[in-house]
Amino acid sequence: MKKTKVWGFIILLSLIVFACSTSDDEGGTSEETSDNFNRSAMLINWADNIIIPAYTAFNADVAVMVQASSVFTETPSEANLQNLRSAWKDAYVSFQSVSMFEIGKAEELNFRNRLNVYPTDVTSIEENVSNNTYNFSLPSNIAIQGFPAIDYLINGLAGTDAEIVAFYNSESTATGYNGYLNELTNTVLELSTTVLNDWEGSYRSIFVAGTSSSATGSVDKLVNDFLFYYEKSLRAGKIGIPAGVFSVDPLPEKVEALYSKEIGKELLLAAITASQNFFNGKSFTSASEGESLKSYLDFLNTIKNGDDLSTLINNQFDISKTKAAELGNDLALQVTTDNSKMTETYDELQRNVILLKVDMLQALSINVDFVDADGD
Amino acid sequence: MKKLLLLPLCATMLFVSCNKDDDNDSGDNGSAIATPTLYTFERDGVSTVNFGGQTTRILMAGETTDAFKAFETATEASIKAMFAHVEGAVDFSEDDLNSSDKSIESKVAASSDFFAANTTEAAIIKGEFAGYIEGQINEVFPNENVLAAAGVAGQIADGTSTRYVNAQGLEYNQMFAKSLLGALMVDQILNNYLSTAVLDAESNRVNNDNDVVEEGKSYTSMEHKWDEAYGYIYGTSENPENPNLTIGEDDKFLNEYTGRVNDDTDFSTIAADIFEAFKLGRAAIVAKNYDVRDEQAEIIRENISKVIAVRGIYYLQQAKLKIENGEVTGSFHALSEAYGFIYSLRFTRKPGTNDAYFSKEEVDGLLSQLTGDGENGLWDLEADTIESISETIAAEFDFTVAQAASVE
Repeated sequence: MKKTKVWGFIILLSLIVFACSTSDDEGGTSEETSDNFNRSAMLINWADNIIIPAYTAFNADVAVMVQASSVFTETPSEANLQNLRSAWKDAYVSFQSVSMFEIGKAEELNFRNRLNVYPTDVTSIEENVSNNTYNFSLPSNIAIQGFPAIDYLINGLAGTDAEIVAFYNSESTATGYNGYLNELTNTVLELSTTVLNDWEGSYRSIFVAGTSSSATGSVDKLVNDFLFYYEKSLRAGKIGIPAGVFSVDPLPEKVEALYSKEIGKELLLAAITASQNFFNGKSFTSASEGESLKSYLDFLNTIKNGDDLSTLINNQFDISKTKAAELGNDLALQVTTDNSKMTETYDELQRNVILLKVDMLQALSINVDFVDADGD
Repeated sequence: MKKLLLLPLCATMLFVSCNKDDDNDSGDNGSAIATPTLYTFERDGVSTVNFGGQTTRILMAGETTDAFKAFETATEASIKAMFAHVEGAVDFSEDDLNSSDKSIESKVAASSDFFAANTTEAAIIKGEFAGYIEGQINEVFPNENVLAAAGVAGQIADGTSTRYVNAQGLEYNQMFAKSLLGALMVDQILNNYLSTAVLDAESNRVNNDNDVVEEGKSYTSMEHKWDEAYGYIYGTSENPENPNLTIGEDDKFLNEYTGRVNDDTDFSTIAADIFEAFKLGRAAIVAKNYDVRDEQAEIIRENISKVIAVRGIYYLQQAKLKIENGEVTGSFHALSEAYGFIYSLRFTRKPGTNDAYFSKEEVDGLLSQLTGDGENGLWDLEADTIESISETIAAEFDFTVAQAASVE
């Protein structure tokens, strides 16, 4: 009787070991996984043909916006307001091509959050305009600056252009609004210039030298940054949150470019296109493609359900763009009139999260380095 | 015949839980008590389950933690008053809490097994909580709108969140909340209400054997003690009878982190193991089988201790990644949480012993390593130090640093 028990336990124990050992090899090990893909060529392509040209173009567009803002604040008129609006839009669209590269100096500066946290905090902005004390470099002030704050100042103060211009002309408010607007645009330029200078200075060589296949290598880091951006900023921020995917009811007031009512869709499409171009290693200035996540997957001959993974990912980008193109320009209006178009767009964007974050990362042996925060 | 049935039964249990320590082969006793599906117990058609005092304290702990960020309204006196609430004082947003005679502080480091004869250490621990409050008000509040730097309290950016740290880079609100998780919830469950000294106090056994209920109540004293343990993890649950439906979502303390650890596939049965043991132990009290009761208490002790250790290492490893990536300030939030979880190790309980997995001295040693790489604490912390602290903790348990660090 006793013997049976002992034998039973030995058998059981071996079963346990067998059953449990498979789950033991997970975890954040930073082992080198080596394949023969030319990671160095990919990093060089990213830096020289995509990232630096994109920042260069962005910086130029921001400089135009700063100029337009200074013209408008010197001579507040409807024509100058429209001119500033157009410059703001160009810079905002341009920003969609650099927003995903939150690495190096951009990461250090909290670049994306300082340029594009929305909804913007109108109450605090109005307080700051009237008492003229604010420090944009404080982390708690990310929601009173950047493109969304400019959006409010040039599109959201009143219903007509004439009324908006009046804020910048009337004696009691002119100083506050003009000063705040210039401070906003100048800060965007300052940040953008700092990041560009760093890439053109020492950071490029540090970045391209980080060829190791580990959590601290440039490939793992930038791919993680790209996925974080795609998932949180693009998928959730631009579509999911306003469409109510994460809440009980839709939240139309949480769309990007809320006050402009005209460019939300354009910003979204620019972001999807920029993400796809990065995946394909497409040059920022021409149609040519260099080493990329796509060529890396093809090199590894990654197949899912009988198809090339890179083809599936590109198809999914294309479908997402087609869906997004069906949206109206004013995404808040889209949420309130026919939210199903928003949720359908979200669903297509979400399908690529699976392909990129699960299948691609597995193929490339990259660990996800970000998790959902506890929310506390 | 019964014994033959026992082996396959054990085998399925082991298969389900993959936990070598779950082998509660309690002979013929174990099979006599069925584990109920829900935490529902009645006497003469009336529920005998009650843990209102625990629900109250979890809610008080939540509001007190939130007050650390109330820059406009909180004072040292107001937060200390919340911590040591007196019946009738208007310390909280809810009338139910204000009218309560319960307080958090009276139950901090106050378990029968660990602190009844250790009031000196209990006083030191209470003093450390007071220190968190004083630090927040006197060091962090004045620097609310200052950018933190090495040796300077103030703000740091953490994604879209703003964190407020002391000169060492530590967040007092996180230290307070996560240390409280150990000093209040874990200590009360593992070392007080599941303790035989408490469950069997006075005439509890005789009364429970004879169904003698407390005056004016539906429950025996022993039943109630077990429920009070239960309340410190499930007291604010959406479904207190079936709390794993929402485990992780019902508070910011032990419930939340049991859920978070359970999300990791390496520990995917831990929430179920804890709940099953709570149910079976309570059913054993009803069945007057105190051996089975005490076996369940040991299972709970082991698994709740594990929640603290896993989560502590998880945060340490998250921070280590950040530091290796050169994001020094990005590591501070995780490290502040880790600080509290390490602090909480002192309140864990090694099954079968009267000891914590780590003594106060050992915990203090780990914490001084965490803040001791340079004069500015977390600003100077090195990845190697984090790794060594992680390994020291994991060495006392049956899991690896890698298992605790993973999110899948």
